[in-house]
Amino acid sequence: MSTALGWLAAVALTAGLVMGFGVAPLELTQGNVQRIMYLHVPAVWVAYLAFALGLAGSIAYLAGRRPGADRVAHAACEVGTVFLGVNIATGAIWGKPTWGTWWTWDARLTSVAVVFVMFIAYLLLRQAVEDRERAARYAAVLGIVAALNIPLVHFSVYWWRTLHQPPSLLKPGSSTMPPAILAALLVNFAALALLGAYFVTRRARLLAAEEEALA
Amino acid sequence: MPDNWTFVVAAYALAAAVFGGYWRWLNRRERELAASRSHQPSRSGHPRPEPAARPPLQQ
Repeated sequence: MSTALGWLAAVALTAGLVMGFGVAPLELTQGNVQRIMYLHVPAVWVAYLAFALGLAGSIAYLAGRRPGADRVAHAACEVGTVFLGVNIATGAIWGKPTWGTWWTWDARLTSVAVVFVMFIAYLLLRQAVEDRERAARYAAVLGIVAALNIPLVHFSVYWWRTLHQPPSLLKPGSSTMPPAILAALLVNFAALALLGAYFVTRRARLLAAEEEALA
Repeated sequence: MPDNWTFVVAAYALAAAVFGGYWRWLNRRERELAASRSHQPSRSGHPRPEPAARPPLQQ
């Protein structure tokens, strides 16, 4: 299944590049640098989805102590951290020509950095605790706490004055985005979501194989 | 506004490197695990013979 998902992701990523560079029009204010949006925004959406899956897996593990739930939580949080890292790095690259700075400690950037550090801590915690059951239990608690910060990241642009623009899509009311730009964004989101699903599936399978080898 | 293609290329190249690196890491880990499994002793407690030491299949 994961091989098919991988090929599907590869095809979708190619379609996403065609949409982002060939179909989507030139943005009048920013020029071509705005095309970073087709990578930056879907990367954070996929990270949000992965962390939501991690949250569900962590709750399920604490409730039933099923190793499968822990494996899903572990895989989803690791993949979410990879996507969030890409989101932060591409945001910094986009920020330099548009804002004049790679980084600023405004509410959105600071809150997303806090979530990123929390998930790095989550992955380090799993490595640091020798006993696998205890590591899973501690990580589940940290995974829940870290995932609960995501609404703070999303609403930070409304609650505080920030340099970062408010959301164009994940907000109440209809989108003001031109249809071609919206289509390119959604195709790239689908592509990165498939890539994320492929990574989570493979990582969860690998974790199962590792546990089997240690048993 | 200038196009800043360098920044666009840098962003996409960085993402390709991160995702590609993670994919390669998954592949490498799977290979390592498969290799360690093939070197594990069998359930009877006797070490599994190396492929070269095994008798050839009878025709």
